[in-house]
Amino acid sequence: MLIEIRNLTKSFQKGDETITPLRDVSLDIDDGEFVSLMGPSGTGKSTLLNQIAGIDKPTSGRITVNGTEITTLSRSRLAKWRAANVGYIFQTHNLIPVLTAYENVELPLLLLPFSRADRRRRVQIALEAVDLVDRASHYPRQLSGGQEQRVGIARAIVTDPKVVVADEPTGDLDSATSAHILNLLLRLNSELGTTLLMVTHDADAAAIASRQLRLDDGRLVVEASVDASSVKLTQKDAHV
Amino acid sequence: MFKFMPYLLKTLWRHRARTMLTVSGSAVALFVFCFVGSVQEGLDRLTSQKDSTLIVFQANKFCPATSHLPQDYDQVIGKMDGVRDVVPIQVFTNNCRASLDVVVFYGLPAEKVQKIRDFDLVEGSWSDFESNQDTGIVGAAVARRRNLKLGTKFSVGEVKVTVAGIFKSNDKSEEDYVYTHLDFLQRTPGMNLVGTVTQHEVVLDESADPVAIANVIDDEFRGGPVETDTRTKGAFQASSLADLVQLIELSHYLGYACVGLMTMLISTTTFMAVQDRIKEHAVLQTLGFSGSIVFVLVLAESVLISVAGGLVGTGAAMLTLAGTGLSVGAEAVTIAFSPSVGLAMTGLLGSLAVGFAAGVLPAFAASRTDIVTGLRQA
Repeated sequence: MLIEIRNLTKSFQKGDETITPLRDVSLDIDDGEFVSLMGPSGTGKSTLLNQIAGIDKPTSGRITVNGTEITTLSRSRLAKWRAANVGYIFQTHNLIPVLTAYENVELPLLLLPFSRADRRRRVQIALEAVDLVDRASHYPRQLSGGQEQRVGIARAIVTDPKVVVADEPTGDLDSATSAHILNLLLRLNSELGTTLLMVTHDADAAAIASRQLRLDDGRLVVEASVDASSVKLTQKDAHV
Repeated sequence: MFKFMPYLLKTLWRHRARTMLTVSGSAVALFVFCFVGSVQEGLDRLTSQKDSTLIVFQANKFCPATSHLPQDYDQVIGKMDGVRDVVPIQVFTNNCRASLDVVVFYGLPAEKVQKIRDFDLVEGSWSDFESNQDTGIVGAAVARRRNLKLGTKFSVGEVKVTVAGIFKSNDKSEEDYVYTHLDFLQRTPGMNLVGTVTQHEVVLDESADPVAIANVIDDEFRGGPVETDTRTKGAFQASSLADLVQLIELSHYLGYACVGLMTMLISTTTFMAVQDRIKEHAVLQTLGFSGSIVFVLVLAESVLISVAGGLVGTGAAMLTLAGTGLSVGAEAVTIAFSPSVGLAMTGLLGSLAVGFAAGVLPAFAASRTDIVTGLRQA
């Protein structure tokens, strides 16, 4: 088991109201799985993703990734853990505008003990994986939306992380480009064995995942597993 | 940290108008700080001169134009214990009051100039000066300010002198003076000063007690034809510049105010840069940058801007001070505004300190950015 989530609850105060986007969620994800997470807006999909990525802390419950209980890590240890273990693909790419595609992809490597030559080799491989070697010296403003997202994907996989999370990676793209990006994610999962967790609103996008989860009102309510070409829907209660 | 230098430099370059304006503002502040510092340094040099030289002046007189001591007092003073040498000096200045363009003539027995002053004659010759009564050796700062060359004849009031040499001195205020023959200055048309001098400069033995000897000199001439007021050279110069000292003290605070202004300017710019990049810092933290790395990155931006301003401002101040030979004088004593390594180092270290001070709060704010909130920023 790569990711083990137990009784995860997240709540916060908004004025007099207590918002609880996640309620007692438990979930296991195996190494090499491609999991999609769907659900209406405001049901806690991104919140769950952020908890797994270690950029937000739960109110209660625990998350263990590859044997490390990340919910107990300090802010600085969590940052180090993220650098080595998590790749994050944003909906809006979030590339650093002053850096070239190459430098954007290299950025996470600067936090890890790689030599300059190692960094160059890894960036080259990541850019090749997203077919953007010829755009390495381009700045984000010189790239199309799809190319920017591919650079974002290269940045997420360049450290060879344990898990890659994608928050609506096709949300800002047209259908043709979306298909291209989804195909790329599928290849990363099938060819490189990358564990992927993707939040999406798009049922077609969710369908490419090997397992589909659905959140409603902060609870995991349904799971659909894809085995080869067939789809198997399984109703789940608290523990998925 | 050097791994992040491209990111840092490119970030500053992205907002180049803002960066340049902040660097320019910092440079102006540092320029003023160094300029004020040079005035303070000049004053300190004058007032802290070694106590082995006394100046004998006419009692109750302040301007050199009104001090008239008998020249033969040098014979009496020269015989006193602890006195190594006495030099009668006639002083002429175009302006006794505080001014930025004071020209001061010091008339000395020609053979004594080399003896009591440590001058490096960069143009001309001592023999030309010593053998021609109407010549003078001119300090490099005066020569630069008045565009005087070797052989140039120039006049201030009734004093007309030919430049026989241009000198430099370790004591920069000396470079604001013109040295002539004593007889020549005493015979200036309309002055009729033969037999009198403005002051006597008394060089003491190393072991002599300057205060005791000053008292002996004043006691000697008390009740005589002209009473004297004797002080160490440093005290005499401080007294001559008394009116300016308060102004200089005030300008000192102006220098500190400039540094404060620079701190606020850089801090504001850095805060604005942090506010503009809340999402970017959240993205960096999502990628694994810790709060402390973000803190250091923002602090480094502030320091880079500040040091760039410091380099430009300090460099411009040093070039201006070296190139213009500016000085301010009162009662024939001048304070040279001159560059110094110490001043340049103070300016640069000051800009470094300002960079750190200005960057701490914005850097702390950036390092504490809540990642999820930051990522939601437009």
